[in-house]
Amino acid sequence: MEWFAQKWQVVESLAPFLLHGLWMTFQVSMIAIILGSLLGAILGVMKTLDSRALRLCIDAYMHFFRGTPYLVQLYLIYFVLPSLGIAWLQFDSYTAAIVSLTLYTASYVTAIVASAIDAVPRGQEEAARACGMTKAQRLYHIIVPQALRLTVPPMASVYVIVIKSTAVLSVIGLSELTRQGETSILRMPQDTMFIYALIAGLYFLYCYPVLRFARWAERRVGSSAAAQENA
Amino acid sequence: MAVNNNEPGPRPEQGGADQRMVVIDCISRRFSIDGGKTVVTALDDVSNYIDRGEVVVIIGPSGSGKSTLLRTLNGLESIDEGNIVIDGVDLADKKTNMNTLRADVGMVFQHFNLFENKTCLENIVLPQVVVLKKNREKAERVARDLLERVGIPDRENNYPRQLSGGQQQRVAIARALAMKPKMMLFDEATSALDPETVNGVLSLMKELAYDGMTMAVVTHEMGFAREVADRVIFMDGGRVIEEGSPGRFFDAPESDRAKKFLEQIL
Repeated sequence: MEWFAQKWQVVESLAPFLLHGLWMTFQVSMIAIILGSLLGAILGVMKTLDSRALRLCIDAYMHFFRGTPYLVQLYLIYFVLPSLGIAWLQFDSYTAAIVSLTLYTASYVTAIVASAIDAVPRGQEEAARACGMTKAQRLYHIIVPQALRLTVPPMASVYVIVIKSTAVLSVIGLSELTRQGETSILRMPQDTMFIYALIAGLYFLYCYPVLRFARWAERRVGSSAAAQENA
Repeated sequence: MAVNNNEPGPRPEQGGADQRMVVIDCISRRFSIDGGKTVVTALDDVSNYIDRGEVVVIIGPSGSGKSTLLRTLNGLESIDEGNIVIDGVDLADKKTNMNTLRADVGMVFQHFNLFENKTCLENIVLPQVVVLKKNREKAERVARDLLERVGIPDRENNYPRQLSGGQQQRVAIARALAMKPKMMLFDEATSALDPETVNGVLSLMKELAYDGMTMAVVTHEMGFAREVADRVIFMDGGRVIEEGSPGRFFDAPESDRAKKFLEQIL
């Protein structure tokens, strides 16, 4: 009983502090997910266009961001870029976090969108072409709507990975959840285990609904046509 | 049954230039496979023509180039040499807008290729609105009339996957007709259908032919070819081996290759 009372006291005193961290984690990850998805969708569509040069550039970007650790990318953007002396590359930690996380997210989204577009049966594109639609019309009306359905399941797992990657941001001093936890531990070193458990719990509280939402969305888009089959 | 505007039987060879809907002039098409190591000649110096209102049936063994030939007629397949002129429009001309041309040439595919994310009605409405810039109401009226005409007026709100193959192919024909095409291309339009739905689609095609539509038809349905074609083109190895009226071709083929082919399938 006494144990619970003591732990509750820890929770009470740390709650505002940790919730502030969770809020920062939420904010940074959401902005990165939204911007990264937009950028990734655009790059993903561009990757399927006929330009070889464009495809090579996008491939290079994708391979770099997917093939190196996020921590290294963050260091490059926060510590190395400013040393180039270019004014607009002097990021503060918040901007650096968002820029790096957006680029990281977009590299995965690009791959997902491009392969979903490739997975739409060739006949769909051909039929649209045979009707006289331009490339843009074919993409907008036929190809992208069909490809989007295929992106839901892989997109959700990328989003969860992105959310968890924000823990790395503690190294550049951003007061997100992990950083707030570490600071708390300095204050209450006797509760290290408990505080880490709290942090893990808070991450889970954020990630789990995202996964549930993805499953719901997947079932919805996957069966929107099937649902009408009985009509 | 509607009246055939054109005289029956094969057209005279010396038909004037304005009688030609399609002129195919020495076209070749090569594909490179396994990373460019092997080159396959799908079309080898083919010349031919299709007159206005004519129904040309192209037959031949698989890999003979008949589908490739058909697909060059709306630019789905590009050509390496030669030239095609459709209703006075030069396909090789850089200034030719291929999308405008394609709106004038309807195509029906073996696997229907209805837009999976659109209802039947929407499949027919969308190209009219997007390509022909028609207003929606008018396009819907056209679509409903066509669904009625192809015999499935009650499925307009269904998605393609909810329809049988035969029904999907009827919608696909309606989608092509909605563009008011100058000619229609049929690429093995009945090959993927259940036997019992084949005849319905064939009689729809027959109706179109008798209405005077210019048609190029790739098919394995020899009964259809014999009954409906004005001219039969037999292809093998990317070349036109033999052509003529269906009566002459089926009853007295000249080339050995055609004789062997007909023996095997009839």
